[in-house]
Amino acid sequence: MVDFARVQKELQECSRDIERSGIKVVPKSDGNLAHLVGTIPGPIGTPYEGGTFQIDIALPDAYPFEPPKMQFTTKVWHPNISSQSGAICLDILKDQWSPALTLKTALLSVQALLSAPQPDDPQDAVVAQQYLRDYQTFVGTARYWTESFAKTSSLGIDEKVKRLVEMGFPESRARSALETVGGDENLALENLCSG
Amino acid sequence: MAKRVLCKFFAHGACLKGEHCEFSHDWKDPSNNICTFYQKGACAFGSRCRYEHVKASRAQSSGSSSSANSHQSLAFDSAPAHPSRTASSGVALVPGTLSELSAFSSPFLPPPKPAWSDSLDDGDVDQNEDDDVGVGETRSARPADRAICSFAAAGNCPRGEKCPHIHGDICPSCGKHCLHPYRPVEREEHMRTCEEKHKHLEALKRSQEIECSVCLERVLSKPTVAERKFGILSECDHPFCISCIRNWRSSSPTSGMDVNSALRACPICRKLSYFVIPSVIWYSTKEEKEEIVDSYKARLRSIDCKHFDFGNGNCPFGTSCFYKHTVKPGSYVWKFHRPPPRRPPPRRSDIVQMDALYQMFEHLEELEDYTPGDLDIEGLNPLEMQFLLMQLGFDPSDSSDDELNF
Repeated sequence: MVDFARVQKELQECSRDIERSGIKVVPKSDGNLAHLVGTIPGPIGTPYEGGTFQIDIALPDAYPFEPPKMQFTTKVWHPNISSQSGAICLDILKDQWSPALTLKTALLSVQALLSAPQPDDPQDAVVAQQYLRDYQTFVGTARYWTESFAKTSSLGIDEKVKRLVEMGFPESRARSALETVGGDENLALENLCSG
Repeated sequence: MAKRVLCKFFAHGACLKGEHCEFSHDWKDPSNNICTFYQKGACAFGSRCRYEHVKASRAQSSGSSSSANSHQSLAFDSAPAHPSRTASSGVALVPGTLSELSAFSSPFLPPPKPAWSDSLDDGDVDQNEDDDVGVGETRSARPADRAICSFAAAGNCPRGEKCPHIHGDICPSCGKHCLHPYRPVEREEHMRTCEEKHKHLEALKRSQEIECSVCLERVLSKPTVAERKFGILSECDHPFCISCIRNWRSSSPTSGMDVNSALRACPICRKLSYFVIPSVIWYSTKEEKEEIVDSYKARLRSIDCKHFDFGNGNCPFGTSCFYKHTVKPGSYVWKFHRPPPRRPPPRRSDIVQMDALYQMFEHLEELEDYTPGDLDIEGLNPLEMQFLLMQLGFDPSDSSDDELNF
């Protein structure tokens, strides 16, 4: 049984500190605290700067005595993160987990992993090889992936809402449609037209 | 006549008999504030008793002449305890004179010696009586023999200045008038216990604030009493509640977590601790921690080790076991001066045996659940069962696996 009292506390603590850390954790759906979505900003001074990365968090029954299962839903080009599945290779999410760690500290570690790749212990061999052999290309690819996958989602959401409102949709519906499709304007439009 | 002793209930403001009461309801009358249990030889309240702890002769001096009979009987009651007393006539005589005397002069002043410490051999009686009376008159004012006012000691004396009893000095720890000005031993004793109590309260207050780093709740505010306990790690000072830290240490080492480097380490600083000490109080100094650990170990030392089984079992901890290893006459160790041989480990199960051992390590930590000599076979998991069977001399690898996987 997941310790929901603790999860609740962690979420509160996280939202209190959101200004400083930029790390956000919200339940994926209302009323289910075992499945969460975390958001971390790309660390400054890295190819991931400016991107916002979403991480899917599933809490096992024994949480906090077992590590949460984390996986990137935003595509990332990084030696320790699978470019296909988003799986993260990080010791504290596996054998080095400690119950004193929280979702926030775990996400902070993931953020730190973005700024300090460990190509010797790779999750994605292709990326790791590129990182070691041709660092410049790696930086270029990583930046390109950040631009194309990590920026569309929440940046300028107000602008998109405004555009949808101009098309004749009520603002609240436009906003919720955008949120459900993850910020893609075209998908949101489709959603609004069909629904 | 009977009216002359102040009613105890009236003194507390709670006499239901009103004017029909056979005791006096006049504050001017002396109270009979003597502890009857003390007269019989054993008062459970000891120095904290609100009644006066003086022996029979004291009763005579403060009582009225009408109650001389009862006092006599008191003195007689105590007689069998002192076989050296050849005749109680001495006592029987003394009350008459003494009470007559003291009823008028100084009703609250006890004679210097309890009656039963008097030697009442006929030859000595005269001398003793002379002594008693003589000293009684001169020394009866000895303040150390007078009890302090229990109202003042409890916080507030309604009689204030007019109170016939001594008002004790203020105790610096509890702030009550409960220090006897003329009894240094009692004073010390009170100050010491009071300070200890005070320290304990302070520590408890501090402990209230402390949160468990795993469940993020205040340990002493957990819903059930059993959970309101800290689990102190021997090697570091990070606070956890006992259930959380035990849960963590006993969680099955799946997903590649290593028992020694992860599970037995502090979740915060990852320092390795081999045992957890349950405590209702969190410590603030190293000495306090040592005290908690020592008293915990002392408690364990008084419990018989269930693995050792009075010399018939094989304790995996050997001489460093925290529990008591009592060798019963006739047991294996008693006969052969060495632990019974272990059965050779079953084939293909070295790892399993280690796991069983670890399980036992964890169980040893659970003091509350520990009942010596009570092996709960139903509650054993297959590994423990296997271990147990091994100990009993069965070879589990002989039986089919299905039988073990219940």
